[in-house]
Amino acid sequence: MITLENLVKAFGTGNAPVVDDVSLSVPAGAFLVLLGPSGCGKSTLLRMLAGLENPTRGTIRFGDTLVASASQSLPAGQRGVGLVFQSYALWPHMTVAGNVDWPLKVSGLDPAIRRIRVAEALDLVGIADLAGRYPAEISGGQQQRVALARMIAPRPQIMLFDEPLSNLDASLRVEMRHELTRLHAATGATTVYVTHDQVEAMTMASHVAVLNRGRIEQFGRPGDLLTQPATAFVARFVGTPPANLVPVQAGAWLGLLPDPALRGATGLAMVRAQDWHLSGPGPRSLPAQKIEVVPLAGRLVVTCKLGDQRVTVIAEPEAPLPADLHLALPEAPYALFNIEGQPLP
Amino acid sequence: MPPILRHPGLWPTLAVLTVLCLLVAAPLATILGETLGSAAWAEVLASRLSRNLLWRPLATTLTIGVAVAAGCLLIGGFLAWLVTMTDVPFRRSIGFMATLPFMIPSFATALAWGTMFSNGRTGGAGGMLEGLGVAVPDWLAWGIVPVILVLIAHYYALAFTVISAALSSVNGDLIDAAMMTGASRRRIVTGIVLPVVTPALLAGASLAFAGAVSNFATPALLGLPVRMQTLSTRLFGMIEIGQTERGYVLAILLIAVSAVFLGLGNRLLAGRRSFATITGKGGRGRVMELGRARWPLCALALLICLVTTILPIILLAAASLAPMSSALFSDWTLHYWIGEADPAFARGLAGILHNPQLLTALGVTMGLGISVALAANAVGLVVAVTTTRWHLPLLTGAATQLSFLPLLLPGIAFGAAYIALYGAPIGSFPALYGTPLLLALALTAAMLPFAVQTGRATVAQISGEIDEAARITGAGFLRRLWSITLPLAAPGQIAGVLLIFVSVIGDLAIVVLLYTPATPVLSVLSYRYASDGFHQFANAVTLVILILSIAATLVAQLLRKRQRNAA
Repeated sequence: MITLENLVKAFGTGNAPVVDDVSLSVPAGAFLVLLGPSGCGKSTLLRMLAGLENPTRGTIRFGDTLVASASQSLPAGQRGVGLVFQSYALWPHMTVAGNVDWPLKVSGLDPAIRRIRVAEALDLVGIADLAGRYPAEISGGQQQRVALARMIAPRPQIMLFDEPLSNLDASLRVEMRHELTRLHAATGATTVYVTHDQVEAMTMASHVAVLNRGRIEQFGRPGDLLTQPATAFVARFVGTPPANLVPVQAGAWLGLLPDPALRGATGLAMVRAQDWHLSGPGPRSLPAQKIEVVPLAGRLVVTCKLGDQRVTVIAEPEAPLPADLHLALPEAPYALFNIEGQPLP
Repeated sequence: MPPILRHPGLWPTLAVLTVLCLLVAAPLATILGETLGSAAWAEVLASRLSRNLLWRPLATTLTIGVAVAAGCLLIGGFLAWLVTMTDVPFRRSIGFMATLPFMIPSFATALAWGTMFSNGRTGGAGGMLEGLGVAVPDWLAWGIVPVILVLIAHYYALAFTVISAALSSVNGDLIDAAMMTGASRRRIVTGIVLPVVTPALLAGASLAFAGAVSNFATPALLGLPVRMQTLSTRLFGMIEIGQTERGYVLAILLIAVSAVFLGLGNRLLAGRRSFATITGKGGRGRVMELGRARWPLCALALLICLVTTILPIILLAAASLAPMSSALFSDWTLHYWIGEADPAFARGLAGILHNPQLLTALGVTMGLGISVALAANAVGLVVAVTTTRWHLPLLTGAATQLSFLPLLLPGIAFGAAYIALYGAPIGSFPALYGTPLLLALALTAAMLPFAVQTGRATVAQISGEIDEAARITGAGFLRRLWSITLPLAAPGQIAGVLLIFVSVIGDLAIVVLLYTPATPVLSVLSYRYASDGFHQFANAVTLVILILSIAATLVAQLLRKRQRNAA
């Protein structure tokens, strides 16, 4: 179990905190994804979990053990955690087997046991045949697997990943997502995974924390992010395609089309792509211009320009696109947010 | 007709190869040929003379090489560690200053040493310390100790550059990954940092070693007055007194000694065991907190940098104004710069700006600097284009090897090889000895490796997708050359030209054997003044060289910065 309480990290005094008052808790065996845009503080949070940075305030607990607070910090090597770096950070002067073996050697394991563990780890990630090679001699995808093997060989209770798939190409990424899920199931270790890719969060996570500017926007199960987005930021960040946020003013869509369903709100109305449809001119429709059409699973994802923003809508491939393109509005918005992005009751 | 004869790259490659043979291979082949079967080999290697001709100078040379390599490793490594891995103040400034000593010709530092430490032993007044009443012992004023110290001050910049590159590659994620295993700090240093950095340490040491054993100016100025000989001064002496064959034999041996170590260094830098380039990413470096040692270490680093860059320049400037180097900062006069000839002063020598030879030398030096820089650059670019564009079996490889070969050749040995080939008429082709062309050819050949390197960077920059992107717009060859290739290549090329210019005007080792009174150059003039005891004049001339070098270096730096910003 990992518990964070009021965790703050600021670099230098007087600077805005990079991680700002983060509290959350996940059970043992969970797969927690820290999701957010670059610069949101997710990597710093991960490095605090790893023991590579110390918190400015707040506490980190693994189970009942206090591992870090402002005044004390358990060294990285004693936390029982493994970390896969974005750059993989393979030691270039050691072979693949040497890389996997070194952490075991440091922890003082018997050579016979080490040999078995190294073989197991390499086998688990499917690179047993590369044991004697040097990192410079293998491909990026293979280096990634070496980094995985090196992390799991000491059998950590907690596995940490810092955007591990961002340097791989698209098809390899799908393969590695499956591999990581398998690895998580095989080891049962609690996992914390940092990414800016919401697809990775949706496919692998048991828990997701969406971070923005150092703060948690929403913490919950992946499905909750789609069905009950806590803020406009979350609604705009997750989903394939992500939900649309249409500006509303004094209860009127775009300030033009009054609608009692908007309850007089000023802010943003959340409309999922499947909640509205393309039509010709009508009493409850807004004019739009087509930008692009992407076929997806037998249907079409149509991107349009509505006012000065881009929105998406799902269309059936049989029906031709109307000549004078309009978006027919839903009965009611899926959710309403104020200007600051907070939900309106 | 065999396919190779129809290959479009055949004639360009052959042309390049011919030029390289004339510039590089032929002179070397000549000294080998001239000494083949000659009695000089036996005289040098195994005769009553060989102890003085070869073995003692060789022992001195190797001692100097080992000591300089160790010193450079220590100082360059210390500064590199400080700059890349700690929170020492003024890191950027220290990092910049630590690369500068290499820009100052080593004879300038040697002259500055004399200004400070020389004693009356070799005649003339003592240096500044004697003037202050300090009795400077002989071992500190002359001979192997000052030679080693001056060469360390000159070459540590090389070690610094190589080691700091390696250290910054290991710093960051690699060390974090090791910390995650719970390894102790000592274990991280011995298990990760040192193994990753070792190739760079060895490379830095071997570069410094090769530089030190080839250096001519420093042992000539600080060693020869007390009859300390190194291979390079011995070789110089042999050719000066007309025993050219013995000189050539020594040149071959000197090349062998330095090439072995330089080759080793290059191999370590380029080979599979060099890791500097593998992990470029993951930049956030871990900074070691020095705590209370922060300011003392900063002061030490700044002191090292100042003592090896600014201080020699200040000493030279003062010494070019003071009639007595024992009283460096009193009775300043501009006589040594602008004075008319006066029998009562400086043995009747006029100030350097009234010395017609100096003005000729200034003209010749500038002319050589500019023309060699342009010529070497042009040849370098053509070699780079030809060897990257076409790959012919054997020929392309030979051209590449030949173009980098001068890197392995000590300047003075290179000079000797040029005398051997072009010093005498070849058939109806007149001897070049005594013409500026001989100097220009030798210097061009010596600068080729740098020029080819610049050329390759340019080719890499402008070929491929950038050029294709312009081609797709329908722009013709000339249009692309003018609006894409030239703007992109120009800053790098100009910086390359300037750096070659700096190396040429500061060179003494190559030209000292090739110059004649008809073709004087500044560095030789300074050396002549110094060995005749006219230190103020020597210092003044050296300052002129330094001013030119510094100006050119600054412009080159500026251009590099701008190019980097553009990229």
